[in-house]
Amino acid sequence: MSVATPSASLAPAEAAWQLYICHACGYIYNEQEGDPDSGLLAGTRFADIPDDWACPLCGVTKSDFTLYVAPDLSALKTRASGLASTHLTAPRSAPGIVVVGAGKAGWQLVQNLRSQLPDTPVTLVTACAGDVYDKPLLSVAMARQIQPQALVKETGREAAARWQVRLLAHTQALHICPESRTLRTTQGPLRYADLVLAHGAEAALLAPLRADLCWRINHLQAYQRFQAALGTTPRHVAIVGAGLIGSELANDLALGGHRVTLIDTQARPLARWPADQAGEPLLAAWSGLPIHFMGAVQLQALLREGEQYRLHTSDGQTVLADQVIAATGLVTPTRLARSADLIWQNGIAVDAQTLQTSVPHIYALGDCISVNGQSSRFIEPILRQAQTLTAALVRTDQRQAQMRNSAALPCAQPYAVRDAVVRVKTTSLPLSLH
Amino acid sequence: MNLVDLPPELATRSNPLIEAVRAIAQGPLAQQAYAIDRGAYPENVLKQLAEVGAMSAHLPQADGSPGDYGLAIAAMAEASRVCGATGFMMWCQGVAGLYMQASGNPALAGERLARHVRGESLGGTGLSNPMKSFAQIETLLLKATPVEGGYLINGALPWVSNLAPNHYFGTVAAVSTPDESASREIMFMLRCDAPGVTLKACPEFAGMEGTGTFSVQCKDLFVGADDLVADPAKPLIARIRGGFVLLQCGMAAGIIQGAIDSMWAVEGQLGHVNQYLEDRPADLQAEFDALLARIMKLAETPCDTTTDYFLNVLDARCHCGELSLRAANSALMHQGARGYLMQSDVQRRVREAQFVAIVTPAIKHLRKEMARLSVQEMPA
Repeated sequence: MSVATPSASLAPAEAAWQLYICHACGYIYNEQEGDPDSGLLAGTRFADIPDDWACPLCGVTKSDFTLYVAPDLSALKTRASGLASTHLTAPRSAPGIVVVGAGKAGWQLVQNLRSQLPDTPVTLVTACAGDVYDKPLLSVAMARQIQPQALVKETGREAAARWQVRLLAHTQALHICPESRTLRTTQGPLRYADLVLAHGAEAALLAPLRADLCWRINHLQAYQRFQAALGTTPRHVAIVGAGLIGSELANDLALGGHRVTLIDTQARPLARWPADQAGEPLLAAWSGLPIHFMGAVQLQALLREGEQYRLHTSDGQTVLADQVIAATGLVTPTRLARSADLIWQNGIAVDAQTLQTSVPHIYALGDCISVNGQSSRFIEPILRQAQTLTAALVRTDQRQAQMRNSAALPCAQPYAVRDAVVRVKTTSLPLSLH
Repeated sequence: MNLVDLPPELATRSNPLIEAVRAIAQGPLAQQAYAIDRGAYPENVLKQLAEVGAMSAHLPQADGSPGDYGLAIAAMAEASRVCGATGFMMWCQGVAGLYMQASGNPALAGERLARHVRGESLGGTGLSNPMKSFAQIETLLLKATPVEGGYLINGALPWVSNLAPNHYFGTVAAVSTPDESASREIMFMLRCDAPGVTLKACPEFAGMEGTGTFSVQCKDLFVGADDLVADPAKPLIARIRGGFVLLQCGMAAGIIQGAIDSMWAVEGQLGHVNQYLEDRPADLQAEFDALLARIMKLAETPCDTTTDYFLNVLDARCHCGELSLRAANSALMHQGARGYLMQSDVQRRVREAQFVAIVTPAIKHLRKEMARLSVQEMPA
C-alpha cells in the first residue's frame, strides 16, 4: 500500500515515548528516562542511540532490543483466571485426604478408607499420641486399677504403619483456609483435597468449675494424669454431674477403693432418662459402696485449700475433696468450624447423605457433628457414619479421576439418626437406658 | 512498572493517610530502598511518615476518636510494599508509642508521646527477649535491682532496632528479689543516651542493614518513675500482646503484595514460561486476600485478651511469615536472572521475607507458643 501509516507522519518529538526490551535479560529501555549512566540523556529516542551502546544490565548491543508494549494487566489476569481449572494451576502433588482427630471416629474412617482407596494419601492430625484404645474402658480401668498404658491396643505409630497413613501426633489443628484448601497446624500448613473433622467433643466447664481445678477425663492422657495425681492410697474424689459419665466414674472409683461424693442439680442420678427411673435402684445398688450422693444442689464455689479442694453448694454444705472431676456434659469445640464459617447447629451441621459440612471439601463425623440439629456422643453411630463418609469420599475421588462410569460408583448410604440404647457400665447395677 | 491495583482489603482503606503514605513510599522511599537495605538509616523518611500520622493510627487520636489498627496495618503495608526495612521501623516506632500510651504514666503519655507521634523523636522496642521469656523460650536478659526512687538495670540485649544515640525503646527487666515466689518484672522506656548505656554495632546482616539495629549494654542504668511503663509488667503486656503481634502483619502484607506485583510485571513477556511454576500470582493473591481479610477482622478487637483471640493473631502472623517466603521466592522464580541482580527489588524482597520469618516472633516461636496455648489445661 502506498498510504503512509499515521505514526510515520508524526514528527519524532511529538510521538509517544516508546519502550524497548532487551531479549537477553529483560531490561527495558524507556525513551523518556534514557540511560544517563551510559550517557543517554532523558528523552533519547531509541533510533538515536549509537550502535555501540550496550545494555546496562547484561552488555548485549542495541540490535538485541525490540519494541516493547507493556501488557494490559487486567487482560492478563482475566486470562489467568480462565486457566485456573486447567492442569497448569492444579496442585503438583495430590494432597489427599486430611483427617483431624485420632479417636474412634478418626481411626474407624481411616480403616474404611483404606479398604476402598488404598492409594490415596491420608494424613491424620491429632493433638494426642494417636494411640488406639476404647474410651469407654477409661472408667472401667479405674475399678480394676489398670495402668493407663495397658489400655492401648496399638500405638499411633503402629496403627499408622498398618493403615499406611501419615500420622501427625501432638499436633494442634488451628485454622482452615477453605479458599486455598489448607489446614493450618502447629507443624505447618497442610493442603487437602478433602478434609474430615473428627475431633470429637470435650467436657463442658461451667462456672465455678475451672480447668486448673478439676479433671475432665475424656481421653487417655487426662486419665494418665489423673491416676498419677490420685497416687496409690485411697482418696476422696468429688464428681460434679451424675449423668452417664459421672455415674460410671463414681461406681468405678468406689470399686477402686476411693471415697466418692457425687453432686448433681437433679434429685437422682441419670435423671436425663426419666422413663427408666434408674436413679433410685442405682442408689440402692450403691448402698454398700463409699458413694455419697448429694442431689438437687448447685455447686456455688470451688476453691483450692492447700493440697485439697473445697466445694460449696447452694444449700450451704461444703465438701473437702482430694480431687474434683467435672462430668457436666460435653461441648463441641468451635475453633475449626468458625475458621471455615461452617454452619453450626448444636455441633457441625452435616448432610446425612454425604456427611459434608456446609463448605465443599470439608466433611465431619463423630461426636462433633449434628444431623438436623441432633448430636450424638455414642460409639454405634460412628461405625455407620464412617461407611457413609467413605462412600462419599470414594465418589469424589472417582469424579476427580474422571471415571464417568456411574455403575462403578458405590451406592450412597445415607446416615440415619436412630434412638440409641445406652448401656451403662455401672457394674453394681448394669443398666440400659432408652 | 505498572503497579497492580490494591487488593480489595487495602483498596477499601483508601483514605488521606494511605494516599499520603503512598506518595512518600513511591517517591523518596523508593529512591532510597536499596541504600536502606545496604545500611542507610532513613531518618527523614521516617519523620515524614510520622508527620502524616502513619505510625500512630492505632493510638487514640487527638480529636478523641479511638485508634484504628486496621488503618495502621494498611499504612505499614503501603510502605513495606516498597521497602520492608522501613515497614519494620514503622512497626518499631508504632509499638514504642503504644507502650507510652498504655503506660498511663503522665511523664510518658503526655508531651513525650506527643513528640514521638509527631516524629520529633524516634524509638524502638526491646521486647523480643521478654516475649520469648514469657513463652518459656528464653530467660530474661535484663535485671533490675530496686534502689531509692527506682531501679538499677544491668545486662545486655543482643539486637534492638530503630535506634540511634538520641533514641529510646521499651523493654522489660526481671526484678531481683530474695523471695523467688514474689518474682516480677518491670517494663520501662530505656533512653539510649542515659549514663550506663552503650550501643554497640551488630555484625553485618544479610539485608535490612539500615534499620538502626544495635546491641544494647546496661551497666547500673538508673530507671526512675518517669520512665516506668508498668510495674509489674505482665498485666500490661497481656493487654497489648495481641495488638503488638498483629501490627507486624502490616510489614508482611506489603512484602507479599510487592512480590505479587513483580510477578505480574513480567507476565506479558514471560507468562509463556512462568505458567510452569507453582505459586502463580493469581493463586498467591487469592490466598493473600483471604489472609488480609482475616487480619483486618482481628484488627477490629486488638484489646481482646482471650487465649482464643491470641491464637488467631499468632496463626495469622505465622501465615504472614510462610506466605512472605513463598511469595518472595516465587517472585524470584518468575523474574529469573533480572531478579537475581543485587540491586533488584525482587532480590531484596527475598531477604526482607526471610526477616519476616525469623524476626521475633519467628515461625518456629509462633508454632511453639500456639502448641503451648492449645494444650488442654489440667490441675497441677
